[in-house]
This record gives sequence, structure tokens and C-alpha cells, in this order.
Amino acid sequence: MTLLRAWLTGIPAYLWSGWGAIASLFLLLAAWEGASAVHGALILPDPGTVFATLAGLVDSGAAWPELAVTARRAATGLALAIAAGSTLGMLAGISMTASMMSRPLVTVLLGTPPIAWLVLAMLWFGASDGTPVFTVFIACFPVIFVGALQGTRTLDGHLREVATVYRLPLRMKLFDLYLPHVVSYLFPAWITALGTSWKVVVMAELLSSADGVGAALAVSRSHLDTAATLAWIAAVVLTLLTVEYLLLEPVKRELEGWRRQETEGGAA
Amino acid sequence: MLNRNPVNLSHPLWLCGFRPFFLAAAVAAAGLMALWGGFLGHGLPLPAVPGGPFVWHAHELIFGFALAAVAGFALTAIPEFTDTAPVPAQPVRLLFMLWLAGRAGFWLSGAGSGEVGGVGGLGAAALAVAALAHLGLVGGLVALLAPRLVKDPERKHLSFLWALLALAVPIAGFYADALTGAPPARWLHATIGLLMILIVLALSRISMRIVNSALEERGESPDYRARPPKRNLAIVCIALYTVAEFLSPGERIGGWLALAAAAALCHLQSDWHVGRALFRRWPLMLFGVYLLMAAGYGLIGFALVSGSDGLSAGRHLLTVGAIGLSIYMVLNIAGRMHCGQPPDERRWVPAGAALLAGAALVRAATALPGAPVALLLATSSLLWLSVFAAWLWHMAPLLAGPRRDGGTGCEGIIETAT
Repeated sequence: MTLLRAWLTGIPAYLWSGWGAIASLFLLLAAWEGASAVHGALILPDPGTVFATLAGLVDSGAAWPELAVTARRAATGLALAIAAGSTLGMLAGISMTASMMSRPLVTVLLGTPPIAWLVLAMLWFGASDGTPVFTVFIACFPVIFVGALQGTRTLDGHLREVATVYRLPLRMKLFDLYLPHVVSYLFPAWITALGTSWKVVVMAELLSSADGVGAALAVSRSHLDTAATLAWIAAVVLTLLTVEYLLLEPVKRELEGWRRQETEGGAA
Repeated sequence: MLNRNPVNLSHPLWLCGFRPFFLAAAVAAAGLMALWGGFLGHGLPLPAVPGGPFVWHAHELIFGFALAAVAGFALTAIPEFTDTAPVPAQPVRLLFMLWLAGRAGFWLSGAGSGEVGGVGGLGAAALAVAALAHLGLVGGLVALLAPRLVKDPERKHLSFLWALLALAVPIAGFYADALTGAPPARWLHATIGLLMILIVLALSRISMRIVNSALEERGESPDYRARPPKRNLAIVCIALYTVAEFLSPGERIGGWLALAAAAALCHLQSDWHVGRALFRRWPLMLFGVYLLMAAGYGLIGFALVSGSDGLSAGRHLLTVGAIGLSIYMVLNIAGRMHCGQPPDERRWVPAGAALLAGAALVRAATALPGAPVALLLATSSLLWLSVFAAWLWHMAPLLAGPRRDGGTGCEGIIETAT
């Protein structure tokens, strides 16, 4: 209860600390405005025009369906990657042999550019939802796998021995020892994967789909409509910023706080 | 022995550098606003100067009122920060004469010319005198204080030196424009930005003492720190906006930068979220300066980005609000402390701060559609005038009189063994 209250009273301070980020973003907008003044509206429309176009897209109802389609594909691919990557990564982490064996495979997966996977996916799945979902999955999987692997490998051996010696029940071992530690590694990996998924899905849609933000980008590009292109980009980035800073970053801070305490406790 | 003639160096007026300048600042604040109110409300004439009445108003309040306060603050605070000997009375009197010459020169700068606002022979000479006087004042401050700031082993306060040196630039620019007949107002706007930076710098020093002593009074640990990164971000944003405003006034790019400055100032406020101690009178007044500054830049940014009215309103939140309130604070805190008196705990001090904030908000409200502009302007100047008149009423005897605690100069409250 006190934990919850401390967390709740921390919310205003967290939100207030966002002003620093907002200041940086305004500086970016100023640079954008300056670049637009130099290069002209055809190359780079000014922020005001772009946001007006975005507002027009939202008002006309054109934006939400496309964003929803894109979000569905990204979320499906990401969910599959989280499920598979976390499970397999933890399993691989338990066994020294498995983790040794899997490392080169992960390197191969990480080293293959997503665009290559996209081409394969287009051959396998055609113009269906399967193409973006598969590409997202394959781009996110290795990131999460490595996070899970490291989380499991770095588990404190002494604590595990203590738990075994005192015959802690499995449930307690799982929820009080293993999970908190592993999650503190897994969660940042999930957040990285979320960013990746959102970027990759747009790319996949651009080349393979008839709907979604990526497809809308392809259309605005073919119309040479820079303002609409930037408006869609702004929509994608703003969605990601909102999800990341309002939802995930606070949770991440909590978890990292836990990890900091752990290392400080270890040092003391 | 103490002398009754205020020109004589043994008069208590010259005991410490802030005394003549703080008094002059308050007299200027009240007097200038009375003249301005008379002009706006009743068409009473103002001295004819290059650029016209609005330039007179801005020039006098910035280079008259605010510069006097800056001089008084720098002459007193920098020796204290750097732990060096107080500035002797003689150069202080010289600097004060320069300040007076600056007023006289500028006020007479329209003389001898046929048309109002033009520059004629006599007027040009007066303008040149004013230019030299203002530059001499800033140069004298730098000459007196730079060695102390540079020799300080940690050089913690060197930023004050840069800010003082930077002040000479808009002064030189203003008079160069005025002498060549160009519209000089842009230099005054740039000075506002510089003063904002100077306020952020000065308040970070003052706030450490004020907020921590408020925390101590409440029995909490005095762990408030004015940390540099947030402050530097705010300073960078303000500087960028000031440059953009100078180079391309009225453009949207300046609007985004002003919004960045507002956000950075809000960010800076998070240092201040120390719980209930913030609501003690002194921390709250200092916090109000940041709030008004953020609001001012926010309004300027909004006006420029959306293309709506409100630039002048935002600017007056900065000048009436942030400059007025911070100077009022310094006049009250340093003004009493270096006379050997504890802070004034009577009600007129926070009441004055509230009225000043009110004056800024009322002035800003003129930008609202359908606002009764004349009434609001008159109210705002009356509020401002009354605050500084009240300050003079309470504080002038202290600043112009001898110290009652046996102190002989600038030293703070003398601890008596009990």
C-alpha cells in the first residue's frame, strides 16, 4: 500500500520531468522550421503545415483506421516475438550449452537486414497480413531472446543456492527470485523491440500492403505530397512517443530502480 | 564622521554599493511608471527621444531601472560570492554619477531637433553622452568586479562576468542605431533576453540559501540544490530565442524557440518541488519569478507560432513579471541583509510581490479579445507604482541611514554572542 502510494505521488514529478524532453522537441521543431525556410515548402513543409495536415487527416477520419491496422500488425508480430523470444531465451539461459549454441544463431538473425526478411516474407505470404507480422516478429525476436538469455544467465548463483538450501517452494522461488531479476532485463528488451516493431511494420506495409500507415505513406509519396508524408511520419512518431513515455518509461524506471537497489545492496 | 550631505562619501548612502543603486532603481521604477501612466492615460508629454515614447519607456525601464538594480546587486553580491573586500565608496559614487548622466543624456536626446523623435545637433551630443555614460557604467562594473571573478580559485561565478560583458553589446548597438537614425528597439528586446539569463543565474545562487533555510525552518534536511544542467538548458533556449528574435523578429522559428524556453523553465522548476517549504513566502516569491518567466515565453511562443496577438503581452510578463518581481525580491532580501537587518517578515513584502505579479497578469490580459485595454494598462501601472512606492516608504530610511548594528559597510547580519 505504501509502495503504491509512493508510486502514485511520484507521478506528478515524473510528468513534470517531461518538460525537459518537451524543450528538446521544441528545439527540434525550431530547427525544422529553419530548414523549411531555407529549402522551401516543396522539399520540407514547415511544422505548422504538417500538423495542420495531420489534424486534417484525424478530423476527416482517415488517420485512425490506418493507424489501427498498423498497430494491429505491429502488436501481433511483437506479441509473438515476446512470447517466443522470452520463453526460448529463458530456456536457453538455463543451460550453458544451449546459450553457447544459440549465440551465433542470434548473431545471424540480428545481422540479417529486416528488408531481406521482408522480401522473403513477400514471397511466402504475399500481400496478406502475414508479411508485415512475420517481418516484425523476425526483427524483434533476437532482441528479446538476448534480453531473456542475459537475464537468466546473470541470476545470482548464491541466491539460488540459498533458495535451494532453505527449500523454498517453487512458487516463491519463481516469483520472488527469478522473475523480478529476469524481468528487469526482459522489460528494456521489450521496449526496444516495441520501437523496432513500430518502425519495421511501416516499412513492410510500404512495400507489401494496400492499407496501413505504410501504404498511406506510399500513396502520399506517389502524389509528391511532402506535407502528407510528414504528417503520417509525425503520426507514427507521436504514437510511439506517447506509448513509450506515458506507459513504458515509468514502468521501466520502477524496474531499473529495483535493479539499482540490488547492485547497491550488493556493493554494500 | 557621518555626513548629512548625500554627495559626500561619508554619508551612509555610500556605505555599500547597493544602497544608492537600489534606491535609484526604486525611485526610477515608481517615477518612470508615473510618467508613463500620465502619458498613456492623459497624454502628458514625455521627453522626446529617438524612436518615440515606446522606446523611451523600454529604454528607461531596462537601462534605467533594471540596470541600476543589476549594478547594485553586482557591486554587493559578487564581492560576497567571491569572498573579497567590498567595493570602495569612491568608484561606486562615480558609477552612480554615470547612471545619472545616462538618464540626463537620454532624456535630452530629442532636444534641438525640429521634429519629435529626430536627432538634431544638441540631441546627438546628449545621445553620445548617454551612450558613453551607459557603457562607462557597465565597463566600470566589469573593471571593478572582473578581477574578483577571475581570481576566485573555483571560478564558480564567472558566468556573471560574461553576462555583464554581454550587456555592453545591446547598449552599444542601441546607441549606434539611435545615432544613425535606425530604429533601435530590437536592441532593447535583446536586452530583455540577457536580463532573463542574468536573473536565472542570480536566482540560482539566491535560491540555494532561501530554499534551504526555509527547509531548515520546517525541520527538514536542507538538500535543495540548484543543479546546473537544467539551468543551462534554460539559458541556452533563452539565448537562442533572443538571437532569433533579433535576427528575424516575428518569425515562427522564434516562436518554437520561445516555447522551448518556456518548457525548459518549467523543467527548471522541478528542482523546486521540495514540498511545503516551497509555500513559505521567500521561496514562493522566487518560484513566482520562474513561473512568470515561463508564462511569458510560453505566451510569446504561442503568439508567434499561431500568428495571433500576444507578443507584447508575453514580453510584459517577462519585464513587469520576471524582471519586476526578481528585482523586488533582491531589493528586499539583499537590501536588508547588507544593512544588517534580518529579512522583513511583515505582510507588506509578500503583498507587494502579489501586486507585482498581478500587475504583470493585468498587463498581459490586454491581449485578450475585447479587453478594456486603457483600464487594464492604467491598473497595471498603478499596481507597479504602488509596490515600489511602498518599498521606498519602508526601505529608504534604512538604505539612506547609518547602520544600527555597528556595521561599517556591506557585511551581513552581525552575529552577536548570546
